Amino acid sequence: MTNTLYRQGTRENLKGDYVLFVHPAKGYNSEGCEPKLQQFLKICLKYNPVNIGSEADLKKPGVPRTFEEKVESVMNTGAAAAVFDNLDSLKKALKEVKEADLGISTIITGLIDEVDQVCREAGITRHSVEHHLGFHGNTRRLAPQRVLEINSMCGHGCVSFKLVSKMIEQVKLGLITPKKAAQLLAKPCTCGVFNPARAEILLEEAREKGEN
Amino acid sequence: MKVDPKKCVGCGNCVPVCTMGAIHVNGVAEVNEDECVECGTCRRFLRIEGLNPTFVRLVRAVLAAFRLQYRAPLDVCPTGALYQPDLTWPRIVRKSFSDPTTVHAETGIGGRGTEEIKTNDVTGRLGPGEVGIVVELGRPGLGVRFKELQRFSMALAEIGAVFEKNNPVTHLMTDPNTGQLKEDVLEEKVYSAIIEMKTTVERVPEFLSVINRVGKSSPTVFGIAISAKCGPNGEIPYIEAVAEAGYELSLNGKTNLGLGRRANP
Repeated sequence: MTNTLYRQGTRENLKGDYVLFVHPAKGYNSEGCEPKLQQFLKICLKYNPVNIGSEADLKKPGVPRTFEEKVESVMNTGAAAAVFDNLDSLKKALKEVKEADLGISTIITGLIDEVDQVCREAGITRHSVEHHLGFHGNTRRLAPQRVLEINSMCGHGCVSFKLVSKMIEQVKLGLITPKKAAQLLAKPCTCGVFNPARAEILLEEAREKGEN
Repeated sequence: MKVDPKKCVGCGNCVPVCTMGAIHVNGVAEVNEDECVECGTCRRFLRIEGLNPTFVRLVRAVLAAFRLQYRAPLDVCPTGALYQPDLTWPRIVRKSFSDPTTVHAETGIGGRGTEEIKTNDVTGRLGPGEVGIVVELGRPGLGVRFKELQRFSMALAEIGAVFEKNNPVTHLMTDPNTGQLKEDVLEEKVYSAIIEMKTTVERVPEFLSVINRVGKSSPTVFGIAISAKCGPNGEIPYIEAVAEAGYELSLNGKTNLGLGRRANP
């Protein structure tokens, strides 16, 4: 359900972007895993995630729900995810998730070396990793880097280039606050892995630098 | 996606929301059906106010007479003019590849790919010495037609790529040994589609070289990803192979922590 691999950014601004998620393996441990997914999200909620999501959000799109309602609506398929904007929260959530021994695949998207360090501190040796090797092909058609940084935080790329550009423009003109713009930008991301806290910072930076 | 011209009041709120830039306003909003990938983002993003179109047009006309304007909030379609028509084959593949709220009929999995390394600690899909390579075409933000994807899949098949059988793109292949896709889907456009395969660490430069060669003339963009099971101390096995191919690893990525296990071992 989540495709968090392509999140663009600098080392500095990616330090505010960690996705912790669990993913049942279909046919291996997915049967009846709903309580475990709920338990995972309940643990994450204790550490102030900036967003959460699960497969249920994809099944009932467009229904506004609180984080607590999202936890209650978890289904026993697909993944459940929580987004943190700081390392301390991630570490605390991971520690408790590990202690809960859910038996479900647990993944962190973030700076690879930083995540490795977090794992080692938690007594975990990473099992598998995945990197991306950049965007290629007709890259002249791509939006500016700032737009890509925000667009790529949606797991399925549903935050359009034009919407991001429009929000940057409206923030610059003072028609909307960066916080409100970030909340609007999070809305097309149905799987809940968009990081509105980081989006707010990126929008503020764009305003300060006068970017289009 | 379609717009009901009787309901649309031409506010234009749907225009920037469209992931493909396929909506424009010409009095009322119109969808370029050839460019629309049926992702449904416009319809999900815009709240419906349910206002009477005639009333909205009247109010706007009165305001305009006084040189005033009313703009609906950015995430609102005042009259609920967007609607999703029933889709048939082959157009329906647009939706199953582009709309994250749908599930592929063939794989039973939502989204565009598979569980790949996310569950590798449980499934063992990638073992020691094996590497997963993914080419996601069309992302970010441009989309791809399957005829373009086929150029990549056929070139990769020529060097013996083994395509992931649970991936929805593989299900569109008439023969995974050639990478050829079903003829009737070639002109269909989707937000993105993922070619997923596995090989050995030693062959990584060869695979990346083919992707590079085919990608040079691509009209769209694509992302490449690489994954593997780590060594006993967490070593990443493909670092040298990627460098040899002239590519740079991203700073960030996914780490599977190895906390999963089979329910019935």
